[in-house]
Amino acid sequence: MRFVHTADWQLGMTRRFLGAGRPGQAAGEAQARFAQARLDAVAALGRVAADEGAAFVVVCGDVFESNLVGPDVVGRACEALRAFTVPVLLLPGNHDPADAALVMRRADFARRAPSHVTVLDQPGIHEVAPGIEVVAAPWPSKRPLSDLVADQLRALEPAGPGVVRVLAGHGAVDVLSPDAHDPAVIHTDQCRAALADGRVHYVALGDRHSTWALPGESRIRYSGAPEVTAHDETDPGNVLVVDADAGGAAVRPVRVGRWAFTRERAVLDTDEDLAALDTRLGALAGPERTALRLTCEGTLTLRQRSRLDDVLAGHTPVLASLEVDTAELVTRPDDADVEALGLSGFAASAAAELASEVEDPEALDALALLHRLAATGGER
Amino acid sequence: MRLLRIRLTNFRGVHDREVQLAEQGVTVLEGDNEVGKTSTVSALDLLVDFRDSSTAAEVRAAAPAGRDAGPEVEAEIVSGPYRVVYRKRWVRRKLTELTVLAPTAEQLTGREAHDRMLAILDETMDRSLWRALRVEQHTPLGQADLGGQDALTRALDRAASGVSGAGAPPGADAAAEDLVERALAEVRRYHGGNNRPVGPLREANERLTAARAEAEAAEASVAEVERDVALRADLDREASSLAVERRSHSERAHELEDRWSAFEARRLEVTAAAERAKAARERSRRATDRQAERARLVERAGDAARAAETADAAIATHEERDAARRSDRDDQQAAWETARAAATEADTASRTADDALATARDRAELADLSERLRRAEAAESARREVERAAAGPTVDAAAVESLEELDRGVVRAEAELAAGAGTVEVVGLDGASGVTADGEAVAPGETRSVPVAGPVTVGVPGVVEVRVRPGLDGAEARRRVEQAREERDRGCAELGVADLAAARAARHAAEDAAGRIRELTAVLDRELGGRTTADVRAEVDRLVERLRPEPAADPRSAKRKGRQAPDGPALFDDPAHVEDADGPDAEARTARAAELEALRREAAQAREAAGEARRAAEEAEQAWRRYDDAVRAAESEIAAARTTGAVARNDADRLAAELADARTAQPDDALDAEATDTLARARRTEADHEQRAAALAADDPDTVEALVVSARRATEAMTERSGEVERRRAEVTGRLQMAGGEGRHDRLTAARDELAAAERDHTSVTRRAAAATRLHSTLARHRDEVRQAYVAPFRREVERLARIVFGPSLALEVDPGLRIVARTLGGVTVPFEALSSGAKEQLGLCARLAVAALVDAEDGVPVMIDDALGHSDPARLERLAAVFTAATTGTTHQVVVLTCSPARYRGIGAARTVPLSPSLPPPAAVPSAEPAPAEDAMSDEATGSAEDPLRDAG
Repeated sequence: MRFVHTADWQLGMTRRFLGAGRPGQAAGEAQARFAQARLDAVAALGRVAADEGAAFVVVCGDVFESNLVGPDVVGRACEALRAFTVPVLLLPGNHDPADAALVMRRADFARRAPSHVTVLDQPGIHEVAPGIEVVAAPWPSKRPLSDLVADQLRALEPAGPGVVRVLAGHGAVDVLSPDAHDPAVIHTDQCRAALADGRVHYVALGDRHSTWALPGESRIRYSGAPEVTAHDETDPGNVLVVDADAGGAAVRPVRVGRWAFTRERAVLDTDEDLAALDTRLGALAGPERTALRLTCEGTLTLRQRSRLDDVLAGHTPVLASLEVDTAELVTRPDDADVEALGLSGFAASAAAELASEVEDPEALDALALLHRLAATGGER
Repeated sequence: MRLLRIRLTNFRGVHDREVQLAEQGVTVLEGDNEVGKTSTVSALDLLVDFRDSSTAAEVRAAAPAGRDAGPEVEAEIVSGPYRVVYRKRWVRRKLTELTVLAPTAEQLTGREAHDRMLAILDETMDRSLWRALRVEQHTPLGQADLGGQDALTRALDRAASGVSGAGAPPGADAAAEDLVERALAEVRRYHGGNNRPVGPLREANERLTAARAEAEAAEASVAEVERDVALRADLDREASSLAVERRSHSERAHELEDRWSAFEARRLEVTAAAERAKAARERSRRATDRQAERARLVERAGDAARAAETADAAIATHEERDAARRSDRDDQQAAWETARAAATEADTASRTADDALATARDRAELADLSERLRRAEAAESARREVERAAAGPTVDAAAVESLEELDRGVVRAEAELAAGAGTVEVVGLDGASGVTADGEAVAPGETRSVPVAGPVTVGVPGVVEVRVRPGLDGAEARRRVEQAREERDRGCAELGVADLAAARAARHAAEDAAGRIRELTAVLDRELGGRTTADVRAEVDRLVERLRPEPAADPRSAKRKGRQAPDGPALFDDPAHVEDADGPDAEARTARAAELEALRREAAQAREAAGEARRAAEEAEQAWRRYDDAVRAAESEIAAARTTGAVARNDADRLAAELADARTAQPDDALDAEATDTLARARRTEADHEQRAAALAADDPDTVEALVVSARRATEAMTERSGEVERRRAEVTGRLQMAGGEGRHDRLTAARDELAAAERDHTSVTRRAAAATRLHSTLARHRDEVRQAYVAPFRREVERLARIVFGPSLALEVDPGLRIVARTLGGVTVPFEALSSGAKEQLGLCARLAVAALVDAEDGVPVMIDDALGHSDPARLERLAAVFTAATTGTTHQVVVLTCSPARYRGIGAARTVPLSPSLPPPAAVPSAEPAPAEDAMSDEATGSAEDPLRDAG
């Protein structure tokens, strides 16, 4: 039995570094493209399911970024789901828990959702097709007080002969969770036990946006988000095509995401470093789908700093996002910086004073402004 | 730069003149108006600034009027290391020549010469300072614009730091000033007046504020939904727990209700028993009451009968006492009446005695009055007689005297007449009879002298009648005689006498009569005592009337009157009484008086007896009245006792009847039996009730009832609570449905993104604004520091010079732009602009000379003063002269003063004074004649002593 395991679509999510529109305006251009890319990933995984002949698609939580997303987000999601040719099971996760506000119970969702979509808002066994069961462990609220997965597993009898049973859960597993006292953490030993005695045959999890498998047990997995959502994710943008039966499971990641959120580090001390950085930025693939976080370090003169600004300004319009962290970059004006101004008299002494206060960013700003004024004055 | 020599040829009104200037110190150029002083200075500008090919207005203006000649200027100049001779000619035969004499000889012409000259000047001198230090004619000698002058700046810098500041190239400070301006413009982009944010800074602030508000609002709207979700979950839990609670509660409630119903039935029975007991007790109480009432009635009837008897006995006693009292009273009354009769009798006797006394008094008075009247009437008639005799002319002593006076007047007048008039003497001749003189016969032989006072007639009857008339001179005397006579006669006529003798007789008669009348009047007064006779007579009549006996009114009084009646007429009829008051009547009078005294005593006794009798009667009356009052009091007591008795009897009768009736209806023994019977029954029913009630209470019905009530309330409360929970649940569900479609999450993320962007923007704009502010403040601070360093030496030098003019107390305030801001003199500070024209002029001159003194001689430029100090008084001029000296002493500076009033600058220790006289072209202009005027000028200035005659001439 083959199915597609995915999770964390987070529809309705925006990324701040992709720019904001003014209040009341549509989001910025990169933001809009990113939103569309996420819908495209959903559509792509639908095609994967069709191509692979999957029996169903299970989305293990966080289909929506929030239960309070707007009707436009809900509408577009439903449209994307309409293209699917296999049953789709949507599990409420921590972002869209099955509380009174559950988006997937809302009138606008119910009106538009195609018939092959099932919302797993009730815990327990759902028969997808004869011989195929999905055990749902939905989030009933934002802060559950127990291991929802273990709760479901405890209530199960071993699956009947010929029945393939998949558990759909959401949340952090104990081996990854940084918070040992979280009552809702998923206990992997319970999962292993259930797999061992045949109560379930695969544990499909959501919540972690990176693709991940429990070491030593390939049947307990996070699929990761189908499109990247944060810079600290490792290997996002995949869906898992799972072949599972009572004997075991074979899992194959398939890439559907196209965006990249990357981090770069640049050491800048000389003019050559600046040139190298320029080259590096120019060589980025798919820059329009790349959000780059650049951390600069080193020591630059005022003129070099100005050149750095020019280099960055040259690449900013092309990239989806360019964030530069200059906390570790020191700007230290040298004598040539001051001389280049061609100043004399008290103006020269003022410039020298500003240049000497290297620890004061305001003084540097003032000096940079003096550069600009002197330069335009020269042009006049 | 220093100007050594300048020569003008065909320049404006100057035909050809060369002026040599002292290389250092003051050169005064003296000359009348239009002699070309100013041209000398402006020629230098023209030489430097305009190419020989120029056709500028200034150049054309320099051409001489009405002559076809090109203006030409040649100057010898020392500037820095250079010493040059520079010549130019414009308009005609254009020419530029530059001869550099030192440091290395050069010879240039044309355009090269011009450019080389400018280069030399730019290299060695501050041309703007040159302009600043010049004072043009007709412009006020105010403040020079000294800020930013390079040469001065260098000089001041040196003075300030003691180190050469020549490193800064010319124009550097101007560029720096420009930077300050632009930094300020940058600051102004972000900060308006009062440091108010404007432009991008304001926009960033506003954007940030709006974004914060929106983010807060969006967070609140999301939080609201989260609260509702939690609330809804709570409500769900509450609803289900309520349902369970209600089920368990209803079972318990039913059981309690059943127990409570059983108690209710028993309670009704107890109530009925209680009512029965109550009715029996009531009946028993009524029977006992009736019994007691009968006993009371019997007792009251007995009491009433006894009371009636007591009252009857009291009445009898009272009546007995009353009869005795009445007889006593009647006795007293009889005694009073007897006493009253006796008193009346005594009274009558007293009045009779009084009457007799009064009559006797009247009669005595009548007798007396009649006597007096008679005498008065006699006196009166005698007086009338005398008065009648004395009637006639009344002549008193005064009348006689006046008549005598009148008579004396006649005699006097006649004597006067006789004395003044002629006299007719008539001599009666014997035999001549009948001769009359003045009507009087003149006896014969008699000589009669008749004064001719009036017409005198002497006649012999029948013969002749001689009429002598007095002349006019005797007329007056005669008239007086007539008048006197008339007066006398009139006096006699008035007195009613014939003549004076008669008057005297009459006077004597009148005096006698008056004496008699006085006597008689005295008699009258004595008798009548001031009254008239009529009064006295009326009194007599009244007395007679009173004494007239009333006919048969009182036998006794009639008898007495009758006895006295004859006395009356006797009094009146006796005429003897009239004449003599002390007549024989005295005896009768004494008798009357004795009688009167007897009567008076009698009357007094009678009055006393009457009073005694009256007092006795009054005492008797009082005694009677006391007894009568006692009788009346006793009567009212008896009446009261009778009323009491009647009431008592009535009561007794009524109660006896009542008792009889009651006994007829129900005999006493029947009543007693009923009371005993009903009491026994009541005790039985009460015991029954107590038994039942005790049984009920023993089963604790109150607790069961309280439980039932509480169970019912709990049911109600639970129903209410479920309703409330359902209602709130519906409410929350509705709200959640509504919120679900609003995209609150999208709004929140958008708001947060915008807030982050706004914060970034704000930080960046704030940083830019801070940078601009920092840059401007740093630049401005450095500029001010530099300027402040320059100000001090400049101010010191200006003060040094100005103190020569204004005195040692002077102090100046100078701003960084090297402008004098205020002058303090003798402790009084005045802003520069508020100073007088003279003071401004003097300070302006001091400032320029101070610059001249400060600036390095190599860098220096000549100070040009064209006809200034018109506002300064002679005393100040003298001091200013000393300023010039002080400013130029010890320096190599060149000062040029142009004036048409040499007196103004006479005190200056001028190095050279050059008098300028008109330099006119010779009638026939011959070029070869050029040097001549210059020669003259040279010869003039060559000797310092030449100044004196020129001054005198000026």
